[in-house]
Amino acid sequence: MAANIVTLIASDGSTVRFINEIKAQGGVKDVMFSPDGGYVVAFFREKADSLARDRLLEITGRYREKIFNQEGGDYLRNLYCWPTAVVEYEGRLGVVVPFYRDCFFFEFGSRNNDMLGIRRKEKVGKWFATPGHRTKFLDQRELGDWMRHLKVCVMLARAVRRMHMAGLSHSDLGYNNCLIDPTTGQACLIDIDGLVVPGRHPPAVIGTPDFIAPEVVMTSHLAKDDEKRKLPSRTTDLHALAVLIYMYLLYRHPLRGDKIHDPDDSQRDEELMMGARALFVEHPTDTSNRVNAANLKESELPWKDTAKIPYKVTGPYLAGLFERAFIDGLHDASKRPTADEWETALVKTVDLLQPCSNPNCGQKWYAFDNKQAPRCPFCGTPHRGKLPVLNLYSSHTKGKFLPDNHRVMVYSGQSVFRWHENRFVFPNEKLSANDAKRVGYFIEHSGDWFLVNERLPRMRDLRGGQDVPAGARVLLDEGAQILLSPEPGGRLVVVQMAGN
Amino acid sequence: MNGEPIVAVNAGLQALLTSLRSNPYALDSVHLAITTFDSEIKEVLPMTAVADVTLPEITCPKSGATLLGAALEHIFEQVQRDVRKTTSAEKGDWKPILVILTDGKPTDTLAFSEVIPRLQSCGFAKIVACAAGPKADPAQLKRLTEHVVSLDTMDASSFSKFFEWVSATFSKDSQSRGATASVDLPPPPPEVNIVV
Repeated sequence: MAANIVTLIASDGSTVRFINEIKAQGGVKDVMFSPDGGYVVAFFREKADSLARDRLLEITGRYREKIFNQEGGDYLRNLYCWPTAVVEYEGRLGVVVPFYRDCFFFEFGSRNNDMLGIRRKEKVGKWFATPGHRTKFLDQRELGDWMRHLKVCVMLARAVRRMHMAGLSHSDLGYNNCLIDPTTGQACLIDIDGLVVPGRHPPAVIGTPDFIAPEVVMTSHLAKDDEKRKLPSRTTDLHALAVLIYMYLLYRHPLRGDKIHDPDDSQRDEELMMGARALFVEHPTDTSNRVNAANLKESELPWKDTAKIPYKVTGPYLAGLFERAFIDGLHDASKRPTADEWETALVKTVDLLQPCSNPNCGQKWYAFDNKQAPRCPFCGTPHRGKLPVLNLYSSHTKGKFLPDNHRVMVYSGQSVFRWHENRFVFPNEKLSANDAKRVGYFIEHSGDWFLVNERLPRMRDLRGGQDVPAGARVLLDEGAQILLSPEPGGRLVVVQMAGN
Repeated sequence: MNGEPIVAVNAGLQALLTSLRSNPYALDSVHLAITTFDSEIKEVLPMTAVADVTLPEITCPKSGATLLGAALEHIFEQVQRDVRKTTSAEKGDWKPILVILTDGKPTDTLAFSEVIPRLQSCGFAKIVACAAGPKADPAQLKRLTEHVVSLDTMDASSFSKFFEWVSATFSKDSQSRGATASVDLPPPPPEVNIVV
């Protein structure tokens, strides 16, 4: 049968063609493919109304430009699958959306010659956040490592932060609406047509189960115009973002514990667990929602056993934010960490990483635990050799350096970048290509570690009282003080030694 | 049911299983059980996690009774036996979904009438019934559930669309929820008629 190809003129004047056959269905939309596979057209099942049309025109027009036509716009293109135009066909509204990049489709899929038949299917995050799927089903080449999972989270936090900066909220963050690629550490927000603009475009969906904020779950039975009804907003995005990050790093849900709220009705039990009585499974004082490790399946261990892998393995910066998100801010939306805070903490956590020396460790990397003798929390392998820890300080007034609460772990292959050299530089979409190049690196020689200067014009070894010109190196030992730059915001490194 | 229809049902079940296995939510949580009914009731697939299911070939006799009532009795007992209840120590299973597919009318009408209220009150999240072909009676099924679809023809494409719809129903809980609507069934494919 010849495929029925429909040709339309879109809101931006472009010609849009699609094969009139539903290829995928979401909660509110049917998706059709373009003949060349370059884009898809997603039609809303509900009849078109002028409010929805206005919202979509704004999203594909003004809001789109607000994000992409500014500094870092090119970089941001990889973080979103943003709809480009609006079409109308047989009384229904549709959005034209670029096709996902190749890295977001499974290349190998599942084990045993793709026993589940998922090769070329979308990399929905749930696959990677379920311990059983990781250990039993997914091809190991799809899993990536813990560093790449951390990078996926950086990308998500960055994408959400940029959206919030523009005054927009996603309103339906969850792993169906963000594709991730743990093999390269990339992520991309999709289904952006549900965007909420405070005061202008109310949300059309309340979110995806597991990611809906407690206040939204609790009030979802109320009428949409009821004053007490809470609908998705920037702060509910922040709940969803925190849940996503927790799940991608720890492969379990922060609220899905064993506390029973209603023994007779599993649906009501679920509503209470995610809503009115939501309680962090790792709450420090209220232990009533702990996951009972005795009930877990073999394939879920050790991940769902919070005593074995507590949230603190994510390092001090992220642990602090998880506490704010799931203890202080769970029922008080104003206390939730912002996307910007998540991004900063995640980027800083990348600097805490140490490679695990166990070649069979599934995670390959772990965050430094501030211990004199660190060990991989995932497989238990102790760190071998000396481990210099660089504490970063920066100048605020001349000659006065204050701690930045930022540490850099040293390992072979680790580099020093501009954002280590100066506290005013931050690695995000605004970073210039020149600032993205490394300025120094670390080498190990006869059991000692050295920092080699590559491109820092005024690096100085303060303890030795000598300049360290480009090409020269300085020994990293206990108490060493190295000035990376005397410029405003320039960093001073104070070395502590861990390891053995 | 014979010939193309039963081949199509087997193919549809296979497609349903493939679809559930490629959905990470379903793979993590869904269990399947299949009971056939004609003049006998057979539990051809006991409750099994989708990852471990090996589908049996469903066969049907050329003629005979349609013991839907007795089949539902069996289902009722199976739910009591196999669906784990929440205890003070452990969370139980999700509410099950029942899908009934028939091309005939129940011949054990008394048993059928008696089992309806019991089945309705035993905690199914959803009951979906499909009346396939000209001999099926949607009105009888309508007594059991509001979600009745009828297939006018019993060809491969109708069944495959029906099973796609069933699969979407199973996956529904992991999708975005509308701000206005409560938990709905996904829209049926155009070839299936919802009986209202």
